[in-house]
Amino acid sequence: MADGNGKHKTYATNFYKTDIDNVSFLGNPHIDNIATTLMAMGNELWTNRKRIHVLESVMRDKGVTADLIEQYEPTDEERARWAKEREVLVERLYSHFARVDEYEFSSEWKDK
Amino acid sequence: MSELFNRRSAMGFTGGAAGLAYSLMGSHSAVAANLGSADIEPRGTDGILERLPNLDLESYDEFSTSTRVWINTDLNRSAERRAVQILRENGLNPREEMPFEKAVSLLADDPVISFRNHAWQRLQMHMWTELRREFYNNYDAYMSEMEAADNKGPGVLEMSPGIEPEYTKHEIHMQPGGYTGDEFAGHLYHYGTNNFYNGQNYQDERHVSLANAVPVPADGKVMRILDAGSSCGQQVVALKKRFPDAEVWGVDIGAPMVRYSHMRAVDMGVDVNFRHALSEETGFPDGYFDIVTSYLLHHEITEEATYQTIRETERILRPGGVYFPVDVYTNPGRRRIDGTGMRHIRDWMTHRWNHERWWYEYQRADFFGEMERAGMNVIEGGPKTQVSSQVSMNGGIANVIGIKPA
Ligand SMILES: C[S@@+](CC[C@H](N)C(=O)[O-])C[C@H]1O[C@@H](n2cnc3c(N)ncnc32)[C@H](O)[C@@H]1O
Repeated sequence: MADGNGKHKTYATNFYKTDIDNVSFLGNPHIDNIATTLMAMGNELWTNRKRIHVLESVMRDKGVTADLIEQYEPTDEERARWAKEREVLVERLYSHFARVDEYEFSSEWKDK
Repeated sequence: MSELFNRRSAMGFTGGAAGLAYSLMGSHSAVAANLGSADIEPRGTDGILERLPNLDLESYDEFSTSTRVWINTDLNRSAERRAVQILRENGLNPREEMPFEKAVSLLADDPVISFRNHAWQRLQMHMWTELRREFYNNYDAYMSEMEAADNKGPGVLEMSPGIEPEYTKHEIHMQPGGYTGDEFAGHLYHYGTNNFYNGQNYQDERHVSLANAVPVPADGKVMRILDAGSSCGQQVVALKKRFPDAEVWGVDIGAPMVRYSHMRAVDMGVDVNFRHALSEETGFPDGYFDIVTSYLLHHEITEEATYQTIRETERILRPGGVYFPVDVYTNPGRRRIDGTGMRHIRDWMTHRWNHERWWYEYQRADFFGEMERAGMNVIEGGPKTQVSSQVSMNGGIANVIGIKPA
């Protein structure tokens, strides 16, 4: 997917991409990746917790009980949509491990 | 220096379920109607801040902010404690001068310091990525929203595509595309910096307090004001609130930045103007402004651009006009730039790992000297301001003021 679809005038220029994305800080790129994933997990965890808090408050106001939640059967459409969402979540969390760049340690980083 | 990167290949989001699950064009808030049906505001506003368009993104962002606070406080303190320990273990006094390479090679691979740098960079990456996913998943809608505002008032928007010098095209703060190279740079910067400000600027609090600190010319006359490097126009709007009768302008070299600023001002119904221009070449007539401000501009431009900006500011100020540039080191801190081990490690984190490309050029610049050479009277003990987003410094430190002699 490109930035434009031809329908809009573009104002973005070319730019100098930062080299920081490819640095390994933690001695082994996969340790970096694990830490990156953990950080993303924190965000995901809170995002879900927050939604549950909101849901609980809204439902409490509408008289919906915990039992109704336990008994709920998703529709086919919901099952399909949630499966797609899981796919995106997997990508967000684990795609870092698929980085194939050459790594250098920060102490040896040329451009100090 | 990295190669010039083509914006077209920089994009690459696949529209995922998460991004598409919420309809952007849901209910419009009754408050802001200035952008008409193009207005994207499905969750209304919190005060003056348009809420992010879905709960998940808002929560994601909120957690990034909490993580950022933790990095800026506990983790930074641990990293600095480790730095002191390591230097001492090597027989060095952290408060004494030492070569940069020596400090960095001793400290770089310490696990705590490395993790701090890692966490900083990856947090930023997560944040930019998730915000950007939203804007590119709904590209048409967000582009149409900006287009709907481009020619609307009350204020004007003046664009000059193609004027951006090379030095302005870096990805400072690792922001994808930087200020010039991403169509949504303004959107990204606004919501990204909500996070930089540790959650303390959702209502432009920092900008309002800066606008309120701006000194007024001795004769009290304030008809025109310019804010240089105005980013999302937050200070421009805050200045207009303080000086409702003045003609207020913002200039910024990021075309997407001024477009976003203008759109936001139109949406808020605030009569302010934006020009896509360099602070060193604003295009305004001699003596046009009573006050020129800037906030966090100079540490992001080259030494030469800083000098040119100071000279340009003197040109466009009227006699008796006031220059109020606020940045790190536009205060007595400028004289404490030294070569100690601790300074090196902090500068290294900022310059290298926050990609502040022009950090050292800014440190080197003879800022107050150039103000004098340009013909301004320099007053070092001006109003107190809070510059850093990381700590509140007892109500701030005295900032410099330049006065063009009457
Ligand atoms: C750190 S931001 C400034 C923050 C902003 N003043 C605020 O109040 O939030 C730096 C801004 O300066 C702009 N900029 C960089 N070089 C510039 C130049 N030479 N002239 C005008 N704007 C410039 C960037 O596009 C960016 O929006």
